[in-house]
Parts: sequence; structure tokens; C-alpha cells
Amino acid sequence: MSRGERDIDDLDGPDGLVGERISITADGILLIDNVDCTVARGSLSALVGPNGAGKSTLLRALTAVQLPASGTVHFDGDDLLGMPRRQRARLAAFVEQDATTDSALTVEMVVKLGRLPHQSLWEADSAESAAVVTDCLETTGLSDFREREFRSLSGGEKQRVMLARALAQQPRLLTLDEPTNHLDIAAQLSVLGLLDHLRTTGVTVLAALHDLSLAASYCDHIIVLSRGRVVAAGATEEVLTEALIAEVYGVQASILRNPVTGKPVIAYSPS
Amino acid sequence: MAKVSPLALGPALAVALVVSITVAVTIGPADIRFDEVWRSIGSHLGIGVSPLTELRDGIVWQLRLPRVLTAAAVGAGLALSGAVMQAITRNPLADPYLLGLSSGAALGAVSVLLLGAAVLLPIAAFLGALLALTLTLLLAGSLGAITPSRTVLAGIAVSALASAITSFVIFWSASGDSYREVLSWLLGSLSGARWPAVAITLAAIVVIGIPVMLTGRLLDSFAFGDVQAASLGVNVSATRWGLLAATALITGAMVSVSGSIGFVGLILPHAVRLLVGPGHRALLPLSALLGAVFLVWADTLARTLFDPREIPVGIVTAMIGAPIFAFLLTRRKSST
Repeated sequence: MSRGERDIDDLDGPDGLVGERISITADGILLIDNVDCTVARGSLSALVGPNGAGKSTLLRALTAVQLPASGTVHFDGDDLLGMPRRQRARLAAFVEQDATTDSALTVEMVVKLGRLPHQSLWEADSAESAAVVTDCLETTGLSDFREREFRSLSGGEKQRVMLARALAQQPRLLTLDEPTNHLDIAAQLSVLGLLDHLRTTGVTVLAALHDLSLAASYCDHIIVLSRGRVVAAGATEEVLTEALIAEVYGVQASILRNPVTGKPVIAYSPS
Repeated sequence: MAKVSPLALGPALAVALVVSITVAVTIGPADIRFDEVWRSIGSHLGIGVSPLTELRDGIVWQLRLPRVLTAAAVGAGLALSGAVMQAITRNPLADPYLLGLSSGAALGAVSVLLLGAAVLLPIAAFLGALLALTLTLLLAGSLGAITPSRTVLAGIAVSALASAITSFVIFWSASGDSYREVLSWLLGSLSGARWPAVAITLAAIVVIGIPVMLTGRLLDSFAFGDVQAASLGVNVSATRWGLLAATALITGAMVSVSGSIGFVGLILPHAVRLLVGPGHRALLPLSALLGAVFLVWADTLARTLFDPREIPVGIVTAMIGAPIFAFLLTRRKSST
């Protein structure tokens, strides 16, 4: 089944997610200042930066959940900000930070929400939709949780449900706002492992992350945001330097090597 | 978690509604049998001949049937509006009167009652409701971007102002009989409901209520808030304001004939949620059906409990609604 509106072979524009000259203001304050950013198609990339750097704001703009004051966002050449909402929701999914609800929705009902852009308002759930939901529950290891109430789940389980909901949109682009927030180590690794798996299925993934070591061990590319501007972007190992961490976070850090994976591990020294 | 299948509950409630309407028409001082009700209705629709005397037939066709049908339509409209308001404001305590609608309607109604122009009551009540809603939205808008919480706060302010003016008007000019009439309207009453009331309330259900019932999937997407709804391709502000306007019109139509009947819009959606779960595609139509059945019986109690005296139905719904509300609160505590 085709995942989008265009055949990927026909593309002549730039690949992946391309945001250009994005500026976002709220209540007269400039939150994102003329940012350019690119995420290569099929990559797993991290958006990092201190609290208040504008990561959440930028992610929302990149999936057109909140429109920027100016700038453009394209995915595989398609104008994300200009296309109809439902079409955009079939192309790009967004997982917000710490999603909560008062509603007694079951896990299955939450995942089904992801089918909204594929269904008209009153038609019954199609067999295809049901199959997609089952598939997404399986991918995220939630098959046994189908009838459980969302509110009763642990933080890690909730995050996997939200991921399954996003996958039910069958997106080609997935952005996540701090998907490992408040999770224990095992749950963090499980979420990032899932994102890594998604990359292999051709989904382009961009996640805002706080843990630089986690970002370094899972992500090919990294975008560093500070005070509403991109201060560095590129291959993870080239971008994440001790000098950059000192400049952006004001923290003294040492880049070590994980003895098992060989990936960078960042150790912080008290000042 | 769903305990009852919506596909079973829907038809059951529809049957219960038809039976309730018929039984409610038989109840009252003049004894009229179940089958006589149907044959009388049939004769007015051109099928067969009424078995009843002209007087008793008049009781069915001119008094009880329009009143019972109005009760059903008002109950359905209030419960539906409540379910929608709770979803779009993400506030489980939201009810159809949240945005100053009932206070505005009361001010309009009381003004014309005391001027002695009771014929104009529905129009004045409806205009009062819309005026209060407009004021609420203007006030919310003047606070900055219109958000649900600002709108609710503005509604409280407008409500308080309209209630104060209503109290002033009553205090200044009401006396004896007119005071009783005003009080009865303020407490919610269907005693004056005749065929024009049926026309107004049923039209609101058919023209606005039924399209609103089809938006269940959109309301589901609001469960996690605006950002998630937007990320699912929903036009959040258009949906919210469209539905707000629709529920305001429905509530305005209902309040114009019945006064403000409390607790129906607040309680019944919660009761349906307990039965079938939180999905709005089932919740909206089932709330409307249960609201209709509930108000038919509440109004029957209101007119027969202390026969020959009649009490405002708003007292009955509050007497039943408040304990149910307390029960729901304890359920809520154990589920969170």
C-alpha cells in the first residue's frame, strides 16, 4: 500500500524534511529566529538544546501543528504548511510530550485515533483500519494491552501507546517531543529502540531529546538549538564536541566511548 | 471500559423512549389507557377514529402529548449539548448553561413576563441567551486569544451580571401571581408546553442536533488536547467554535420553552460514559436518547407527585441529579 501521495522515484526536490527561514513568535516574543534545518529522509535525528531553547515550538511548526509566523517546511518536496490538514496528518505524525487525558479511553481506542485522517466522520471502522491498528499494537509490543485503560498504564507504556497512535497515521515523517521524558532506563531504551526500528521501515524520525548520550548512541544526525537558533547540525560525532556542550549548556563535559557499542558517551564534571 | 454494547443500548433506549412517551401520556388525573393514546394519535394523523370523548381527546392531543414530546426533545437537546460541551472544553463539569446562556434567557423571559407579554417569552428568552453568549465571547476575546478556560470564566462573569439584573427586575416589579409565574419559569417548567414548543425544540434537534451527533470522531480527537487534535488533521478552532455555536443554539431553543432545567446536561453524559465508555460516536446519540427518557419521567413526576399541585421540573431534576452527581464523584475518585 502506498504511504503517500507521490511516488518516491519521481522526486526531484530535496529529500527528507527541509525547514527554511522559520520564525515563530508568541505574545510578541521571538521563540524561533530564522531557523533552517534539514533531516535526511529515512534517518533518525535528534533535536537537542537547553530548556527553553525552542525545541517543542520548532517541532510543532515542522509538523504544522502550530503554524510559524514565517518560513517554509517541505517533506520530500511537498509543502507541509500549505497542504490540507488531513493530507498532512497522513504524511506527518507528531507525538507530544507527556500526553494526558481525563477520558477513560482504552489503549485500542487511543491507537484508533491515529486513523482519523484516513476515515470520514461517520463511516464504520474499515477492516483495513482495524488491521493497521492491530499491526501498530504489535509493533509497539502492546497487543496484550488492547483493552486496558490508557490512564492506568505506566509512563513507558503510555509513551508506547502514543507512538502506536502516531504509527496508525501511517506517516512517512514522525516527530516526537522528548519521548523519553520521565521514563526509567529500560523504557527509554525501549522507546528509542522502536524509533530505530521505524527508521529501518523508511520512516524519517526527528525526536527532541535531553540525554545527549542516548542521542549519540541512537541518532545519525543531531540538530543543536540554543535560544531559538540552530547553533550546530550534522553527523552526531562531528557535532557533539566538548566545546559545543560548554558553549550551549555552560557545562564541562568529557566525551568518552561506550566500551560495548563504541558510541560516544558524555560524562559531565561538576563545576 | 465498555460494559454494554452501544449497538444494544441504542435500540433499547429508542424503544424505552417510545414506551415512556406513551405511558407518560396515560398518566394524570383523567384516566386514559395505553391503546387509547395510540388510537387518539392515529386519528389526528388521519388513521382511524379516536375512541375518546372530545374532552379526553383534547387532554391527550392538546395538553399531554405536546408536553411529553417537548420534555423528550428538551431532555435530548440538553444531554447532547452537555456531552459536546464537556468534550470541547475538556471539562467534566461543563454543562449546556456554562456560557451564561441560562442567565441571559432568564433575564429576557422575566422581563417580558413582568411586562405582561408572556406570548413573547420564547423569543425574549432566546434573544437573552444569545445576547449573554455574545457578551461572554466578546469578554473572552478582550482577554486575549479565546481559550476554553477564559471563555468559561467570562461566562461566569456574564451569568452573575445577568442574574443580578434579573433579581433586581423581580424585586422591583414582581408581585403575587406574577412572582409565582416567574419563579416557576426560573426553576424550569414544561407546564406551558404546547405544539409550538414541540415545533421549536424538535426543529432544534433535527436541524442542529443530528448534524452535531455526527461529529463524534472529531470530539474523540480532543481527548488529549488541542495539539494532538491538530496533529491528527483536525481544524481545532473551527471545530470548537462551530460546535460551541451549535450547542448554544440548541440550548437557547430549549431554554426558551422550558426555562433552565439543571443537571440533565451535566449528569446524563456521565451516566452514558459509565455504561458504554468514552467514545463520542456512541456517547452523543445515546446521551440524547437517555436525556429524552429521563426528562419525560422527571416531568411526569413533576406534574403528578403532588397532584393536583404541580412543581417545576427543575426541582425534580435537581433532586434526582444532585445525588447521582455525588455518586459519580465517588466513582471518579476510585477510577483515578
